[in-house]
Amino acid sequence: MSDTNKQKSGGKKSKVAESFRKKGFQIFGLGAQDFIRFFFGGNASLAIIILILICVFLAREGIMFFPDHHKGLKSYRLAGQELVDYVGEEIDAHTSLYSAANVAYYAEVNRTSQEEDTILRAYRSVLANVENMTKKTWGRLEAWQEEKEDLEDELEDLLEDKEKLTEAAAAPAAAANDANADQAADTNESEDSAAKLAEVNKEIAAVEARMKELDAEIELLSEKLKKEVNVAIASDEAWDLGVGADQPPADSIDEIKEAVLFEAHPDADEEHAFIVEVKERSKEKKAKAAEELTGFKDTVKGIQAAVRPIRSYHSDLKKIAVENKREIEKFSTAPERRKALLEGAENTEDPEDKQEMLDRANAVDITEPEYDKINAPIYERVPEHEKLAADLKAETEKLYAALPEVSELETKSARESFGRAEVYNERFQNRVEENTEKVKEWRHDKNLSIFESATAFIFGKNWITNSSWHDFYGLLPLLSGSLLISIIALVVAVPFAVAAAVYVNQVAPYGEQNFVKPAIEFIEAIPSVVLGFFGILVFGETLRNVSQVEWLSWVPGFPMAERLTILNAGLLLAFMAIPTIFTLAEDALNNVPGALTENSLAMGASKLQTVFRVIVPTALSGIIAAVLLGFGRIVGETMVVLLVAGNKIKIPDFTEGLGVVAQPAHTMTGIIAQELGEVDEGSLHWRALFIVGMVLFCISLAVNFTAQKVLKKFQKI
Amino acid sequence: MHDLAKDKPVEKSLNPFSTKDFALKRRDGFIRTLLRLATYFILACAGFIFADIIIKGAPVVFESSFPFVNTKFFTESPETLVVFDTADGESHQLDFSDYSQFKRDNPDMKIIEEHTHSYSGGGILGPLVGTALLTLICIVVALFIGLTTSIYLNEYSSKGRFMDMVRLAIMNLAGVPSIVYGLFGLGLFCLVAPVIVDAPNDRALFSFPILPGKYLSFEGWGTCMMAGGFTLAVMILPVIIAACEESLKAIPMGFREASLALGATKWQTISKAVLPYAFPGMLTASILGITRVAGETAPIMFTAALAHKDVLPWEGANSLGGFFSQSVQAMPYHIYTVAARIPQSEYTKPMQYGSVFVFMILVMCFAALSIWMRIHYRKKVKW
Repeated sequence: MSDTNKQKSGGKKSKVAESFRKKGFQIFGLGAQDFIRFFFGGNASLAIIILILICVFLAREGIMFFPDHHKGLKSYRLAGQELVDYVGEEIDAHTSLYSAANVAYYAEVNRTSQEEDTILRAYRSVLANVENMTKKTWGRLEAWQEEKEDLEDELEDLLEDKEKLTEAAAAPAAAANDANADQAADTNESEDSAAKLAEVNKEIAAVEARMKELDAEIELLSEKLKKEVNVAIASDEAWDLGVGADQPPADSIDEIKEAVLFEAHPDADEEHAFIVEVKERSKEKKAKAAEELTGFKDTVKGIQAAVRPIRSYHSDLKKIAVENKREIEKFSTAPERRKALLEGAENTEDPEDKQEMLDRANAVDITEPEYDKINAPIYERVPEHEKLAADLKAETEKLYAALPEVSELETKSARESFGRAEVYNERFQNRVEENTEKVKEWRHDKNLSIFESATAFIFGKNWITNSSWHDFYGLLPLLSGSLLISIIALVVAVPFAVAAAVYVNQVAPYGEQNFVKPAIEFIEAIPSVVLGFFGILVFGETLRNVSQVEWLSWVPGFPMAERLTILNAGLLLAFMAIPTIFTLAEDALNNVPGALTENSLAMGASKLQTVFRVIVPTALSGIIAAVLLGFGRIVGETMVVLLVAGNKIKIPDFTEGLGVVAQPAHTMTGIIAQELGEVDEGSLHWRALFIVGMVLFCISLAVNFTAQKVLKKFQKI
Repeated sequence: MHDLAKDKPVEKSLNPFSTKDFALKRRDGFIRTLLRLATYFILACAGFIFADIIIKGAPVVFESSFPFVNTKFFTESPETLVVFDTADGESHQLDFSDYSQFKRDNPDMKIIEEHTHSYSGGGILGPLVGTALLTLICIVVALFIGLTTSIYLNEYSSKGRFMDMVRLAIMNLAGVPSIVYGLFGLGLFCLVAPVIVDAPNDRALFSFPILPGKYLSFEGWGTCMMAGGFTLAVMILPVIIAACEESLKAIPMGFREASLALGATKWQTISKAVLPYAFPGMLTASILGITRVAGETAPIMFTAALAHKDVLPWEGANSLGGFFSQSVQAMPYHIYTVAARIPQSEYTKPMQYGSVFVFMILVMCFAALSIWMRIHYRKKVKW
């Protein structure tokens, strides 16, 4: 089309005349210009259609999730699994209480033998480090020793052969005297065995020579190993005791070194006397401490024992529920199996096979299980629960009261554990009260509305897949991880980005502006996978090391035990969001009318007073929009969180206050990237991931839309 | 800062050296320094990341002797690395193919302490080629649709509520997370997009005959570079449309009016009086698009990328359709694989840092180019 146009415009007739001329090229009354218009219009509608299709296809794959999920939850209820999990929740709540008390107890017991334990721990990690550092020599030595053993076996075999051959050589000689008839043959044979004997002798000599060589090698190598161990043990690397470990007392270091040297010797089988002694000492001290704390111990043991009856009750019920679940599953897959068999029968030629398949198809049981009947054993045992739960509650309450006072505890970690135990105890009490009611009221045939199953997804606390019990799809662990990481990122990014925007736009001299602005915009181009890579290999380790520094221990969550945490991901995402927020905020500041600034300056305000009281407030809605868009970018970021957030599907434990940032988490974007490649197309899990994608889509649309609205408001000023 | 200033209102004093003004100045200076520190802290962080990657990555890519570049790194695809000691006390690091050769050459050699590290040997030719192909497909598709759409929106469409809504929708879609585009690409291009086949698959949404023995079947393209390229194209479509429209809008109305007044047709006006001046802006937009697309991992994870592939794309295909319908390795996905999906050790480091270094330099070059062009043309074009 453009060619025809070019010809026309390049023609001899003047352009003015052309536009008044009747158009030559027309189909159905449409000229070339109309076709060009339609071409562009068509492409534009294609683009718009594609963008609409995004919603359609997300919905197409995802929307069936709700009915399927509803069905799954229904069978969960019909099978009685729901009831069993009520009991399970009580037990879990109790277990966390018990483990907190238990941790406190062991912290107290180990308190006396701390010195010895530190020495033992240090010894173990130094030994591991040294072994790691001298791995090569170690490996070679082992290889030689192996070869030597092989040679020894071989030598044994050869010696046996030799014995046999010598006997064989002797026997014919003796026999020769008796029977001369076969002399010729015998001579032959004995000559043969003599040759063999010589050969074997030669081999033996060779093996022995090799063994000698090996012995020399081994001698050399073990000398070398000893030297290397000596060098290794003197290095700092060997004394890197790992995260959060205490240094052993100074006077024991030499002895630890000696013990490691002793252990590193190739022939060492037993432990060094020093280590044995320290172990002995630690054991003694622990026993003594435990004796003093018998009351505490008994209480803790009592707590553990108290849960036993309800635990066995729980496992009994669980068995019934599993059976029920199997029945229900069998029923729900029956039509499909039957259909498959019938189809197979249709496609087979062989009449016998066909008949067999038809028979099997007819044999498929498609009657619905009688839910009342299969749940009867569960109902039978429901009344027991109230008493069991009440007993457990009373017993635990009594035992909890019997625990020592916090003030009696001597170690910090025990006191902390007690703090947690208090929270857990309260939770446990509430849980039992609530669930006793729930168990009493539970009915397998209680109607489950589609709305309820939707809430079970949105507010579900578990995301458990591929489990043999029941797959839970709850959004909360993912959503909370995503939001927590985004909030940390925003809290860090906003001050820096806005400060940089103010600086570049208002304070910096012209030359500096021209350097800083492109430089920060340049950061935006760093691919997210590169940042994630940096986080996993460099930043995580650095952050953990920084968190070990003593004078930083007041920072919540420090010292951190993990490399891949919410904090790590949050900080990297903050770095990613800075250019976005910076650029937009700078734009907003730039758009503030010059008259406002001039007026303020003319009134005698200083430059910075003008900036903070006139310019920034005026540009505030633009800055808010920038922050919102930055949030949108962070929430949707995939690779960084997939790589560095730790990928643990659990709602972050907020009992630690701000220390929650040191935990790993999982995110909505991360879970899609991680799991979508591994699930079957069209399965419930697959659909769940698409729904998570839809939630993300909605969040980002909402954020963007709000940002646009805020911007529009700003432009009206 | 705000409150400090509020608490002590500045009294107007005739003496310019009075203490209060002095305090104000000092506070001003302090805040300035604070702002400057925040700004340079950001740059320092960026500098630290670049420095770390360059320091650790450059030795892998460059060599001290001729030809100064590690040619093997650019001419081979990723392979498994085998690290072993032989009985004579020497340690070796060989790619798997070389290792097999070594074993054939030295059948008697006793091998001790053998470790394999997947994807840590060889080079990055496969991923580089894959990323280039994906980017190419994406840019061709996205520029074609994006340019025409922006021309329509800016030059042809009538102003009104509907068009404003379309613009708002496009703006909003620019902020949708890339992984959502990945899901969409999987749902549309991999599973539903139409193909011409001899016999339609059972899985197809629907299909109908178009030629004797040929069917148009909506069964999707499967995991392939076409699907990946198209997904990426859809992802940057809003960005490209917005950027192109922006550069079209910047052309003064007078150009068009003058052209039309001279009797040029609408298309002549657009092609002669508008597009040539909008061209630099559009070029900048497309380079920006390349930068974004080349760095994306999430959209190609399920639609195109493959961690391991023995042959390069042109070695495995026998027809044009076959060429585009194979999956490829891609740099970002390769980096994700070596960074997170294989056990870490000192032997995987060179591959990790080498790939990240090359990848970052490539993307950064495009980014720098687009930033430079924007600044350059903004200065140059004046009307």
